[in-house]
Amino acid sequence: MKRGLHVLDPAETSDQEWGDRVAALQKAMAAQGVDVAFVYADVSRSDDLAYLTNLCLYWNEGVLAIPAEGPVTFLTKLSLRVQNWMKASSKVTEFSGGKNFADLVAKYLLGKKNGTIGLVDAALWPADVADEIVAAVPGWQVKRLGSLVREQRLIPSAAETELLRAAGRILDDAAAKATVEGSTAGSRVETVERALRGGGFLDLYPSSLSTSDGVTSFGVTGQYRMNWVYSSRVLGDGASWPAAIKDALTAAIAAAKAGARIGSLAEAAAPALAKLPGGAKAEVRWVNQADLSTSGEFRAQDPAAVLADGEAGAVSVEVAFADGGNAAVAETVRVTEGEPEHLTGAQR
Amino acid sequence: MTIDHAPAPAGAGLSPEDLAELQLRHRKIRDAMAEQGLDVVLAYGPAWRRENIRYFTDVTPAGSAALVVFPAEGDAVAFSTRPSDLAAFTAQGWVGEARRLDPANPAELGVVLKELAPRRIGIAHHELVPLVLMETIRAAAPGAEVGSATKLLDTARLVKSEWELARMRRSAVVCAAGWEAFVDVLEPGLPEYRIVAEVEARLKNLGAEDNFMLIASGRDEVRGMTPPGDRLLEAGDMVRTELTPKMDGYWLQICRSAVVGKADDGQRKSFDLFNEAVEAGISVVRPGITAHEVAVAENDVFRKYGYGEYCSSNYTRVRGHGHGLHLDETPIIEGNHTVLPENSVFIIHPNTYTPLAGYHVLGDPVRVTADGCEVLITTERKLFETGDVA
Repeated sequence: MKRGLHVLDPAETSDQEWGDRVAALQKAMAAQGVDVAFVYADVSRSDDLAYLTNLCLYWNEGVLAIPAEGPVTFLTKLSLRVQNWMKASSKVTEFSGGKNFADLVAKYLLGKKNGTIGLVDAALWPADVADEIVAAVPGWQVKRLGSLVREQRLIPSAAETELLRAAGRILDDAAAKATVEGSTAGSRVETVERALRGGGFLDLYPSSLSTSDGVTSFGVTGQYRMNWVYSSRVLGDGASWPAAIKDALTAAIAAAKAGARIGSLAEAAAPALAKLPGGAKAEVRWVNQADLSTSGEFRAQDPAAVLADGEAGAVSVEVAFADGGNAAVAETVRVTEGEPEHLTGAQR
Repeated sequence: MTIDHAPAPAGAGLSPEDLAELQLRHRKIRDAMAEQGLDVVLAYGPAWRRENIRYFTDVTPAGSAALVVFPAEGDAVAFSTRPSDLAAFTAQGWVGEARRLDPANPAELGVVLKELAPRRIGIAHHELVPLVLMETIRAAAPGAEVGSATKLLDTARLVKSEWELARMRRSAVVCAAGWEAFVDVLEPGLPEYRIVAEVEARLKNLGAEDNFMLIASGRDEVRGMTPPGDRLLEAGDMVRTELTPKMDGYWLQICRSAVVGKADDGQRKSFDLFNEAVEAGISVVRPGITAHEVAVAENDVFRKYGYGEYCSSNYTRVRGHGHGLHLDETPIIEGNHTVLPENSVFIIHPNTYTPLAGYHVLGDPVRVTADGCEVLITTERKLFETGDVA
């Protein structure tokens, strides 16, 4: 949960960059004939909102209204005293509060000439909210849009890349400390909570997996400012199969080069994964850091998709054993034309 | 990737206590389903609202979204977007079968619903189900009436069993430890976010699965609470927190404020006001009381001293809320006439701003007993000052 440091630092992200992000979305809206776009966010899925505004949605839901021109407005069910904090810690200057989004959207559009509204990432909007908005704005055409904001986030800017490097260093140190020999389940989580939230992380998801032969995988997905990194490590070397999945991860990371197909990561890992016990099912995944808040679970992986220069994401090898045990290894890298830049993992 | 697990009957291998709890829940839900003529209850849980998934499975999934399909007859089927959750569901044994939920292609959900061929479906958290899943549900059950079952599940969860109360008492112990960690770390020059880091570390070491925590530091300029920032503590600051660890699925909250150094007169007067309001709220609790009546008791204290406007919508109106598998269940607020039955659990917290010392936070969780209430935490209710030990 978002219980860590939330800051708005112009030295990290310039006013120019904040303005450019909204302007790029407005350009994409124009290309699709959209007069006003709406971005929905809730506590567990608010990165598009944060990317455009630096808003931290730590409770409840919200909708960001983006007109074809001019400033954005945040539509919220949260009270004025929370709006004041949001105003002070974000780039948003316009807020509108009320009991439901249908009324808030209708009020926002009041006085505007009828046109087309677009729901960004429409498939993931709560159906009730989408239906209510459509009913509340007769005369407006409603268009289901794809992941317009996420697409902007797929290749981080220079400023975001620096933040990812900082995040990777902090996470890498924390993961190394947490997985020392003799650590316990409680001490591992205690260590990463203290180190990561104490190091400035906003959000944090530790995870443990285990197998019937007693092997534990410990992973941490964390958000630093608005960017995500992920590392998962197998503890100990007592069994033969951990070496196989570590080798598979190394091979998959080496294949993560600009221009490579995502499917080529799995192909590179396949020889090592052939050494897994019978019945084990392995999945090699690439999750762009823009999708790490949901572990990429809302995006079907396309093996034919091509990695771009500068793209950052987690390479993972996840194994499900026939008896119900699970294991995972993962590190976050930045794709280049040559060897990928390790943001976690190789920094040890 | 799909993991195939041979379906096993729900409840196989459970301890007698767990099995009794499972059967109690199934009976409660099925009685309500029969009353409402529902063939299927479908519980949906995005990552921030998993309480109903936990209610049916005794598992909090790690996946970004999860579902439980609970038919009027037969076993429940659990779904998650994360493969490793599937083994966790079946290992816990509260559901017989677990399947992958792929939001890009939720075909497996469609298969299960088609087999059930329901005429009436109630969806818990209907209001949060994404378009992509709602369209799958409607396509798999054409002609079925689809409505909300959010209230049905909320009502079922309101009264806690002894099995649940035992878990909530463990949360209460961890609440106290979290508050001790909070007070222990306070000193001038410490950034707010480092306080949270220390508290989270202590709670997680004790086994807390999660923690909802808000904080604010400063003096009478503080109007509300938020996630932590990089503000550095100063001598004389009041540092406030709502601290809500989750143990074994159950959330419980403690609300306290502490002063860095010694409290001034305004801070002491503020504490006295809020403490009297908490006492007033506690004093009226008994089976059959409504949330409205508890809120009125608290607000009357503010009104008596001329601070009534700070309980209005310009400030903070909520005077507490229910607890359980969700941290923020029935709101304790004037106008909410929900009856609070025996063995419901909620926190009484008249948290709001006043000019006395800024936003003040104070509250205790209570269980409604046959003749009053039981305060579930042992932490002393006082205005803590640096150096105090809880």
